[in-house]
Formats: sequence, C-alpha cells, structure tokens
Amino acid sequence: MFFFIYLARELRRRLRQAIFIALGLAVGVGLVLTVTSAAAGVKNAQADVLKGLYGVGTDITVSGAAPSAQAPANGGGGNSVQIQMGPNGAQMCVNGKCHALKNGYTIDNLGSSSYSPISAASVAKIAALHDVTAAAGGLLLTDNQTTISSNPSPPTSFTVDGADISQPKLGPLSEAAVSSGRAFTASDADKNVALVDKGYAASNGLKAGGTITIGGTKFAIIGLVEQSEGSSPPNVYIPLARAQALAKQGPAAGGSLKNDVNTIYVTAASASDIGAVQQEIAKLLPTAQVTTPSSLANQVTGSLTSAAKLANDLGKWLSILVLIAAFAVAVLLTMAAVARRVREFGTLKALGWRGRRIIAQVMGESLAVGLLGAAIGVGLGYGGAAVINAIAPSLSATLTQPTGLHMMTPSGAINPTSSHTVSVPLSASVGGAALAAAVGLALLGALLAGAFGSWRIGRLRPADAIAKVG
Amino acid sequence: MYELTGVSKAYRAGARTVEAVAGVDLTIDDGEWIAIRGRTGHGKSTLLNLLGGLDRPTAGQVRLDGSDLGRLSDAELTRVRATAIGFVFQTFNLVPTLSAAENVEAALIPLRVPGAARRRRVAAALDSVGLADRAGHLPSELSGGQQQRVAIARALIKEPKVLLADEPTGNLDEETRDEIIALMEKLWRERGLTLVLVSHDGAIARRAQRSAVMSRGHLALRS
Repeated sequence: MFFFIYLARELRRRLRQAIFIALGLAVGVGLVLTVTSAAAGVKNAQADVLKGLYGVGTDITVSGAAPSAQAPANGGGGNSVQIQMGPNGAQMCVNGKCHALKNGYTIDNLGSSSYSPISAASVAKIAALHDVTAAAGGLLLTDNQTTISSNPSPPTSFTVDGADISQPKLGPLSEAAVSSGRAFTASDADKNVALVDKGYAASNGLKAGGTITIGGTKFAIIGLVEQSEGSSPPNVYIPLARAQALAKQGPAAGGSLKNDVNTIYVTAASASDIGAVQQEIAKLLPTAQVTTPSSLANQVTGSLTSAAKLANDLGKWLSILVLIAAFAVAVLLTMAAVARRVREFGTLKALGWRGRRIIAQVMGESLAVGLLGAAIGVGLGYGGAAVINAIAPSLSATLTQPTGLHMMTPSGAINPTSSHTVSVPLSASVGGAALAAAVGLALLGALLAGAFGSWRIGRLRPADAIAKVG
Repeated sequence: MYELTGVSKAYRAGARTVEAVAGVDLTIDDGEWIAIRGRTGHGKSTLLNLLGGLDRPTAGQVRLDGSDLGRLSDAELTRVRATAIGFVFQTFNLVPTLSAAENVEAALIPLRVPGAARRRRVAAALDSVGLADRAGHLPSELSGGQQQRVAIARALIKEPKVLLADEPTGNLDEETRDEIIALMEKLWRERGLTLVLVSHDGAIARRAQRSAVMSRGHLALRS
C-alpha cells in the first residue's frame, strides 16, 4: 500500500513531466499502431486481390508461359487465323486464304489469351507429387467479340474460367458464392451451362435463367455468383470440358485446347512445403510459370503496391524513429528526476531501505507512466486507423495481361493487352497482436527509462547522497 | 557500545588525497550522550557517517556492539541502519511528497511491520513529538521546527539503540532550537538512547555528558 501511495504522490508531484513522457511514448505507440493497422489493411487488400485470383485453397499456381503477341500463336499445329482491316473493308485470313467480312458480322473467339497450354495429364502428375494435397486444372480464357465495322473499334471481351467441377475447393470458383440460381453439379460437366459474376451480370443485363454467348455457343446461365471485387475475378465460369472443346489456342489461331489446361491450382500439404513443391513442379514443367501468392504479389501494380511500400518502408522507419526519440526522452527525463531526488534516496538508504526497494519504487513510477502512455497511445492508434479509414482513398490494383489478340489495321498491327484495375478499399484495423506489441513497446520504453534511473540509484552511496545537498 | 580504533577516512580529490577523519580512537558507552563540535569541513559529518554505517572507513575499525561495521556486507549494513540507528539531519530530509505520518512510516518499511501496527506506531511516534494533529500535513505545510520533530519521530519509531544527529538545530531559530534540544534530551533520557550529536553550537554541546572537538580530522575529547 505504501508503495502505491508513494508512487502516486511522486507522479502527482511531477505530473507535467510524467504526462510529457507518457505523451512521448503515446505518440510512438500510436504511430506504430496506425502504421501497423494501415500495413495490415494493405496486406489484407493484397491478400484479397491475390486470394480471388486463384482461390483461397490454392498455394501454388502453375500456368503456361504467356504466348508472344507479336507472333500469332499457332500452337498445337492449329490453323493461323488473322483479321485484316484494309481500305476495302475487313477480311478474315485462314492459313493465308482470305475472304471479306460484311459490316455487322461479329467474330466471337474464346481463346487462351494469356497462357500457353499445358497437357491435362500434367494435373495428375502434379497431384501425385510428394507434399501435394490436391491439384486441379483450369482454363483461363478470354472471349473476344469483335463486330466488323468500317471504323474499327477495340474488341469487347470478358473473361471465362473453365472450371474443374470435381474440385470445387480449388481455383477462383472456390471463392465465389452463389447469390441466385444454383452452383455447378457433377452432371453439368459436359453441359453448356455457365455461372456469371453478379457484378458483370448487372452491368450487362444478364440474369440466372438467361443465356450468354461464349465462343459462338449459347450457354444457359444457371446462377450468379458473388465474388470479391478486389480480386479481378473471372466474369463467367463454364465447365472445364466445355471450355476445352470451344477454346482455341490464341484468338488468331485455330488450335484446339481439347485435353489441355492453361492453369493448374495446387494445394501443398503445409505452408512449409510450398517452396519444395514449387521446385518439383518447375522440374516437371520447365517452361511453365510456377507462382506462389508471394510471387504473385509482385505482379500487382497500382496504388495498392505504392501503399504497401509506403507502409512498409516510410511508416516503419518513421515509427522506429519516433519510438527511439520517445525512449530517449523518457530515459533522459527519468535520469533527471532521479538526479533531483538524490537526497531523498540517500535518506531512504539511511533509513535502512534496500537499494532494490528504491529501484522498485522508481521502476513502478516508470511503469505507471508507461501504462498511461500505452493507454493514450492505443487511443491514438485507434484514432489513426479511423482517420485512415475515413480519408484514405480506395487503392487500385492493376493486373496487366496480354489478350492474345493480333489485329492488322491500316495503321499497323494492334496487340492489345487487357489491364484489369480493381478498386480495393483500405480497411485499417488494429489487430490484437499489434495492440499487444504496442503496449509492450510503451512498457519497454518505460522499463528502459526506469532501468537507467535504477542504474543511477544503484551507484548511489548514502553518505554521498546526503552530503551533496546536506 | 561504539568502539572506534584508529579510524581514518580519506577521499580522493583530483590528484590529492584528503583525510577527512584521521586516526580517531573513541569509545561511546550505551546510553551516553556525546556532542561533537568543530569547524565546517573538519570531519564531523564524516565521522557521523562512519558511526551510522553510511560510509566505510579507509583504515581502522568502527565497532557497534562488537560488530565491525566496515566489514559488514551492504545488506548487513542496511539491516543495521534499519534496526539500530536513527538519523536526524540538519535539513530534515523529509520526503516532500509524503505527509508527516507517511514520512515517519517510511522508517518502518524495511522492517516489514504490518500495516495496522505501522499506523499505530506512527500515531504514537508523532504524539511523542507533539505532532499528533499534524499527521496528514505535507512537509511544506510544516514549520522548520515541526519538520525536525517529524524527522525525530521518524528516527525513533523503530526504537533504535543509537540516535545520530547532524546539526539538528542548524536550520532553526533560537527558540525552536531549544525546543528541539529539550525534546531530544527528553527522549534520550526516556529511551536510554546512545546519542551522538554534531553541532557548532557550544550551548548544545554543554548539555551533553561528554563533548569532543574535531579539528582537521583529529578528535580531541573534553570532559
């Protein structure tokens, strides 16, 4: 009891100094919490984007190498198809033989626009690898629809995912929730049925029960799915077998993708196995791209990555600098306070107080100040996170992918790429671990200050202490 | 009983060594009141610090009831200060943030006296110095004489064998000085204390049973 009375009285005596130290620690703690919450928000946004790309259960993604846009793909020995726009109108050329296209004619091409094909047999080989729990193939496709006109305009396109219905827990579809209609069933494997992204359906007047033309074939829309908008999700899902049957290798080619996939989603036995599995797959498929969520993060550009860098670099160092300054101020002021109390401590030693009892008193005072700083700092941290949420603009994440389209126009060749930019809301939230760490930092600063003060007390000889001022 | 044999205390002051106490031999019987006089800087307070275990001699022995204070460990010396020796300082040395009662109570903290017993003893100690009604006052709310009374109560609450007073009236006016000395004399008689009192004041020294003069570190006894 005496300990707390003495502690409270002493803190009240140097209230301004105690508040100054506490505020210093609080600013440091608040900044750490704010930066940590912002960084966590950015990380969550990144995870949101990446998770949606390949599904929550996917640890590794294997995709065929991107085809060259300059040299129209002719994979699988398929036919070379080119659309040329000239002064005499549009013409389609198949293996060099051209015929005119009438205005208003729509070319609908479902193609593996971004990735080269991988044999579907590779899926089973990967699934058989040690430390692989599951593997599923998929076809990430783009349906490009171009309407012939004397004034050429960019093609309209939407993304189509040929999903392995037997592996519902892998791939982008695993992230989607059916909002109306129904999900795929095993019996849909060979049917012309499709699930459409709810947002895409809304903006294109589609609904469950309606139809959508994909690769020149009408598909029945059996359901709409809700997906994270921060994830660049496919617009339409169709059964893998149907996608394989309809898709061509490259929009300008006629090669079939039957028995091919262009993406393989892999789940490793554990997070620690991801690296080893990645290497095994790279050996098995040397030309394929083997990516993990962390490597995927590097492909994302836009303000999201800028924010991540800002939070990780500037924010981190700013927090460290403020904390060091706060610690230094706390130490110096505590040392000064101890120096002013030399006679007091000397008297207590003369009364028979042990050095460690006096040190405990000083440490207690420091800890109390640290707790006050932590409490204020936590408030500041929550306030900072709230301010970020209130004023921070939505972040954008941009994924640029080749469409695979190769068009000849009077002004030259067009090799358009599709950049998909998604707006990701930054939601800064203070996590429990960050909270504990921040409070720990405040207490650490206080203990550090108390330790320096204690060191000074430990060196104090009672006779000197009394003689100095007595 | 104190037995000082060839006690010296030297300090390093830059390149030279200053001998504040030089070869003091002294015996102080239990219950004796001895006054030590001398000019400022001649070693009176240093000798008092050696008697109180606040400092260790560089030569010789300071024995209190047979135990050589210079050879005790820090913890043992702290224990001796906590139980056997009470100090009264010229500048009172009260903790400014604690009330009169809490300042007195501080002397019982090392003895681990239970809270209720502490409060009872504090009340009795303050009563014995005539400050029962000032228990809750801070030092800044007390006069110099009252502060010194609190300091005396703090020194005596643990019922020490020895009371060491370093210029206890140095900061007080004449009237208050007489009150404090009268109080100390009363407590000395009532409690059978061994009282060692350092003072410039010849009038105070004359009230002691024995007096001694410190000059350049050397002690000369007078009857």
